[in-house]
Amino acid sequence: MATQETLPAPTSTRTGAPRPRSTTATRAPYAFIAPFYVLFVLFMLVPIVASLYLSLTSWAGLGAPEWIGLRNYANLFTDSSFHKALVNTLLYVAVAVVVIVPVSLLLATALNARGLRARDAFRVTYFVPMVVSPIIVALIFSLVFDQNYGLANSLLHALFGLGGVDWLGDPTIAKVAISLVMLWRWAGYLTIFFLAGLQNVPKDLYEAAALDGAGWWRSFTSVTLPALKPVTAFVAVTSFISAAQIFDEPFLLTQGGPSDQTLSVAMFIYRAAFQRQQFGYAAAGGVVLFVVVFLVSQGFNRLLGIGRSS
Amino acid sequence: MTTSTLTRPAPPSTGTRRSRPSGGRVLLYVTLTVLALAFLAPLLWAVSGSFKPRGDIFSVPVQVLPSHPTLENYRNLLTTQPFWAWFGVSTLVAVVATVVSVFVCAMAGFGFAKYTFRGKRLLFSVMFSSLSVPFAVILVPLFVLLVKTGLGSPWFALIVPWVAPAFGIFMMQQYIVQSVPDDVLEAARIDGCGELRTFLTIVLPLLRPSLGALAVWTFLQSYNSFLWPLVIVSDTDRATIPLGLQTLFLSENRSYDLVLAGAVLATVPTILVFLLLRKQLLEGLAAGAVKG
Repeated sequence: MATQETLPAPTSTRTGAPRPRSTTATRAPYAFIAPFYVLFVLFMLVPIVASLYLSLTSWAGLGAPEWIGLRNYANLFTDSSFHKALVNTLLYVAVAVVVIVPVSLLLATALNARGLRARDAFRVTYFVPMVVSPIIVALIFSLVFDQNYGLANSLLHALFGLGGVDWLGDPTIAKVAISLVMLWRWAGYLTIFFLAGLQNVPKDLYEAAALDGAGWWRSFTSVTLPALKPVTAFVAVTSFISAAQIFDEPFLLTQGGPSDQTLSVAMFIYRAAFQRQQFGYAAAGGVVLFVVVFLVSQGFNRLLGIGRSS
Repeated sequence: MTTSTLTRPAPPSTGTRRSRPSGGRVLLYVTLTVLALAFLAPLLWAVSGSFKPRGDIFSVPVQVLPSHPTLENYRNLLTTQPFWAWFGVSTLVAVVATVVSVFVCAMAGFGFAKYTFRGKRLLFSVMFSSLSVPFAVILVPLFVLLVKTGLGSPWFALIVPWVAPAFGIFMMQQYIVQSVPDDVLEAARIDGCGELRTFLTIVLPLLRPSLGALAVWTFLQSYNSFLWPLVIVSDTDRATIPLGLQTLFLSENRSYDLVLAGAVLATVPTILVFLLLRKQLLEGLAAGAVKG
């Protein structure tokens, strides 16, 4: 299970890596990584470049794209739908990073309690929502959030005598509803990473903290949090990237409504391209999203040193 | 950590140190159980709903168990919709994508983990950076590219562009660094084993646990994907399950009864795969983050 940090690592010295000594060996690594790069170039690099080009054109998918320079970007600037999509996506990102990540950390801390029984049963149960397809999640939650008959309002009514909440129709509450679905879907998944991180924290650090008279909170902040920094960084960046491109939940639950109040950038792009045939405009939206996500996550990675080839 | 001589022998790890459960303990178990219910309730409600007559799905108060259990929804779904065709497409696509992807990722992971070569740093960071390219960005040009080149057929488009996920390569690389000793590779080379044969006969078998993890992850990704099939598949008979169900769901009369039955059937493979390989998946996922 947890890779013991105490093991005298067999491959401790990086210099001990096998040295290429024949031409086969020098060519071998390239052969091993080649399939990835072929696919990467064809299906990612070429599309990205094409996206940059398309974003400078007006194109409905037929005939030749018409060059219009930066006009798409100028239009995005003044498009209120795009503004809403940006703001909403920012909100989804905030929910992911500021709410879901800490909740997952708390959940993992609870699951890491010493001598906890049925830990694996809990862990597996919390993960199950991630296994279920988004359309099915959306379908189930659109029933759960039904204003008149849904499970959510039935429960509210039974427990507090409240009810009639318009979960998917009210602009503010619809955002809450989507956030709740995100929480439901992601929390157990992220917990897995934190739990693994926690199990790798050396026990003697806690004992040392306890000897120094640190309480639960103190040892959480001065032992747990610093030890979890790499995991937290990883989880925060991946959550950020996933939330920034959220599509399924708003598309399926609210179709972006009411009046674009739950629209996300990915949905905006989809709608522009495949419902309005504005391929150039959609591409421009994509480029904006790309620049923001790429810069922010590169910044994170640089700052926190994730994914350095060891 | 360093071998500490002053710490006492580890506290008895198995037993609870107190004989009576403390208040904190009770609260912990109650919280964890309530949460477990919250995570499962919507799913169980859907399963129960799939066995209810249409009128009962929305009955108030909510029926936990169907009062008149029926298989009618399943029968209607299977007789009026090409469900098995959707199921076939989804499963076949996911299986092929998984097999190929696991192989490609293991190869690339091995290349990065066990060789030093010119340009390694740059190539690695290019690979890793591709993790932060939002799919929505390449959605439009990729669609155009595949359709214009005549490669837009579902079989090609649903599989080929997705068989080399950077996440999988990263996961493999992390795992290989930890679990494939250099000495073994050296020994194989001295015995005159070629690089490819070393990979196939020595490295791959050592990777079995993490290959399982990656396989589950890829299977779930492929089987559950929604946006890309939505864009690329236009023919209902070649739809994947999520697409088929979405069409049903958005149809005029909102066939909740059929969709619920379909949802339950569609989830069976993923839940099965997950339950069978859950240990490997959960630990495989975790390994990358912890070491990363």
